[in-house]
Amino acid sequence: MRPPVLRVLGVSKSFGGAAALRNVSVEFRPGEVHALMGMNGAGKSTLVQIISGALNPDEGLLEVDGHTQNHLTPRRARRVGISCVPQRRELVMTLTVAENIMLGDLPASGSMVRWNRVRATAQRALTDLGIAIDADAVAGDLTVAEQTMVEVAREVRRGGRVLILDEPTACLGPEAAAQIRELVLRLRDNGVAIVFISHHISEVLHLADRITVLRDGQVTWAGLAKETDEKGLVRDMVGRDVVSRRPVRPAGSPDVGISIRRLCDGRFLDRFDVDVRRGEIVAVLGPAGDAQSRLFDLLSGRRRPDSGTVSIGGRAVRPGRIAHSLASGLRCVTGDRRRLGLIPGLTIDENVLLAQDRLEGRRLHRWGRLAERAAPLRDDYRVVSLVRNPPVEQLSGGNQQKVLLAKWLGTAPSAVLLEDPTNGVDVAAMAEIHSLVDGLTGQGVAVLLASSSAEEVMRLADRVVVVRDGRRIAEYQVDRITRDELLAATLGGAL
Amino acid sequence: MTSPSTLAKPKPAASPLARLRSIPHLGLLAVLIAIVIFASVRTDAFLNPNNLINVARQVSVVAVIAAGLTLLMVAGGMDFSMGGNVAVTTAVAAQMLSHGWSTAVTLAVSIALSIAVGLVNGAVVTFTRVAPFVATLATATLLDGVALLVIDGMSISIDDHLSTLGNGKTLGLPNLTFVAALVLAVTAFVMRYTTFGRDAFAIGGNEDVARLSGINVVRDKLLLYGLAGALSGLAGIMLLSRLAASSPGTGGLQLQLTAVAAVVIGGTSLAGGKGTIGGTILGVLLLGVVANVLNLLQISSYYQQISVGAVLLVAAVANLMQSRGKH
Ligand SMILES: Nc1ncnc2c1ncn2[C@@H]1O[C@H](COP(=O)(O)OP(=O)(O)OP(=O)(O)O)[C@@H](O)[C@H]1O
Ligand SMILES: [Mg+2]
Repeated sequence: MRPPVLRVLGVSKSFGGAAALRNVSVEFRPGEVHALMGMNGAGKSTLVQIISGALNPDEGLLEVDGHTQNHLTPRRARRVGISCVPQRRELVMTLTVAENIMLGDLPASGSMVRWNRVRATAQRALTDLGIAIDADAVAGDLTVAEQTMVEVAREVRRGGRVLILDEPTACLGPEAAAQIRELVLRLRDNGVAIVFISHHISEVLHLADRITVLRDGQVTWAGLAKETDEKGLVRDMVGRDVVSRRPVRPAGSPDVGISIRRLCDGRFLDRFDVDVRRGEIVAVLGPAGDAQSRLFDLLSGRRRPDSGTVSIGGRAVRPGRIAHSLASGLRCVTGDRRRLGLIPGLTIDENVLLAQDRLEGRRLHRWGRLAERAAPLRDDYRVVSLVRNPPVEQLSGGNQQKVLLAKWLGTAPSAVLLEDPTNGVDVAAMAEIHSLVDGLTGQGVAVLLASSSAEEVMRLADRVVVVRDGRRIAEYQVDRITRDELLAATLGGAL
Repeated sequence: MTSPSTLAKPKPAASPLARLRSIPHLGLLAVLIAIVIFASVRTDAFLNPNNLINVARQVSVVAVIAAGLTLLMVAGGMDFSMGGNVAVTTAVAAQMLSHGWSTAVTLAVSIALSIAVGLVNGAVVTFTRVAPFVATLATATLLDGVALLVIDGMSISIDDHLSTLGNGKTLGLPNLTFVAALVLAVTAFVMRYTTFGRDAFAIGGNEDVARLSGINVVRDKLLLYGLAGALSGLAGIMLLSRLAASSPGTGGLQLQLTAVAAVVIGGTSLAGGKGTIGGTILGVLLLGVVANVLNLLQISSYYQQISVGAVLLVAAVANLMQSRGKH
């Protein structure tokens, strides 16, 4: 076995007096994919930030090639060969893909940037990884999946012996996720030490050579991937077994909750039709960046479609008007929580009640009652934080997602659009969110699920509409199709 | 899953240092106290009641502008034309009073005018998406010119028309200070307890999310700029009542920059989403006291500018150090 390139020895880290990591030790070896697993808030991102120099540990040591590294900074980490794709996308949204990839390393002659070289090198970095993205595109125009790919390409191009990927597949469709995994394996075979974080257990079991499980900031299990299985991992992460099974759902009512007719929007949607009855969950599944990622903009009223109608409970909704969309009883939960979901500087309680207070037309706020009113929602959605009510920017990614769901689903909706609702959420929370969504149907809510995950569709939906290039290409009853058939349908066109 | 309550451990007893750190605006407060102590040691004139009352009167006008600006900046907006708005208001009001219009009509017209200016700013910023900085800098220049036009470049005296407001005292404190205190108190209340105020924080934090959450962003922004205009008008009347005349250079960019500086020193973020009236009050006081002390010590105006700049820097850094120290 090759000696570890990076060792973490007895590292502890606290935020505001509460421990996020306690005496954690891990070793990362070249040519190995090392997965970090754990529930939301277990400390995975904190550990990764310490390794990449973004945070300094309170106690403990880091060793690179046997040399102790004191006061690692991001710059120094990069110099010793540690590169990191953080959980939050960190592209400069106003620059082009090429500029982002070459940032901090622009080829220049004298003091003049050589733009041809920038473009060419960046485009090569992308094509080498099999990524079909135009290097001249502006980063802000890309889908989240594409942005992830660009970040990976940037870090890979810079080279390095340790590559950290913090939930790279969290919001990717099956195709893009498979691409990332292939890439990871290729880099591993070239001798790179990969640190891989994911909440998808099957993904980790297939990909990882070695796994370290964290719970409440402590290592609860470490070993080779082949020494454990799904059940064991869940137990180490959660401390108990988690079951999430499709409940038997009574047939939905005949009333149509959401009805979309001949919706057109540029290249994303082409005469798209779907009906969702009350108490029914219908999924729209397609590659990330396709039709289903446009539904949020169109249904929420953020964007006016080229043509077509949307009706909620039989009443047509004026297109392109947020107020009308909300008044119809439709609630749209975005898959892009940072940009369109939460206000990072406001506290959990304020974010949770942001929409509800406005919908109720509340004029005055009593701060003493805020916590009281938010408490039931925080409990239902199991929002976990180290301090009582921090700004949401300090929450772990999965907990932010729970705040987002609580914010919208707590407003007594009559119809809901959910875009990748368990994006970045741990197994236990995922099971809970799934049963909350099941609960919605029990209350007669029509649920439209825009998803890029076949697993989630199989678990939640009654029917699934498969889209490709903006058109519906097939529709299935979920209980009459297997996951593999569904995947084949999304990837290869109609069966 | 572990229940949230077991994870949210009570904080360990805060050390005295940590407790000190949690006092809001500690850095700013320390700088202010240091200057007050320095001033009272160096010159007896500083703690003289007449001088303190004079300072209170001077800062009142800036405080009213700064209050409106704080709320606007929290919502991610900016208005550089408030000083220009003040200049126009004083000019128009002075002309009207000196031409024999009644005080009531004059007040109504000039405040209405300043609200209109604010709404125009708001409309430009909201509907054309020109950056607030650019749009209001343009109106600022325009308004300064209009003000000069209205008074024809001369000094227009209003005799003792507004002297109750400008020079009157209640319970030993200047009436102007009561007006400013009322404005600050109402703004603080609005920011903390009303949906309108909370909307401002949401809009400044992330405008897209605010809109999607059902906040009427367009209406709120128009209201915020209109309010900034209205408070500029009020500040204009206050300034006119104190000076008893409108002359070229009354209000304008100098006043504007003082207000912006006070708000920013007080910890309101230029990017929006963060800010408090408490911080703004300290910022206004700090700038007012520094200007007064420099005058009392008869320091040459060159050094005055340098010292004001230095105090600004120190206060800004002190503020930032404190907010960093929290993590
Ligand atoms: N800057 C910070 N200030 C305060 N608390 C923080 C900060 N960063 C992280 N935390 C807290 O530390 C804990 C660990 O967070 P971390 O982001 O490492 O979790 P994670 O394992 O990556 O979770 P997820 O799977 O949800 O991404 C969380 O409870 C989080 O709220
Ligand atoms: Mg994380």
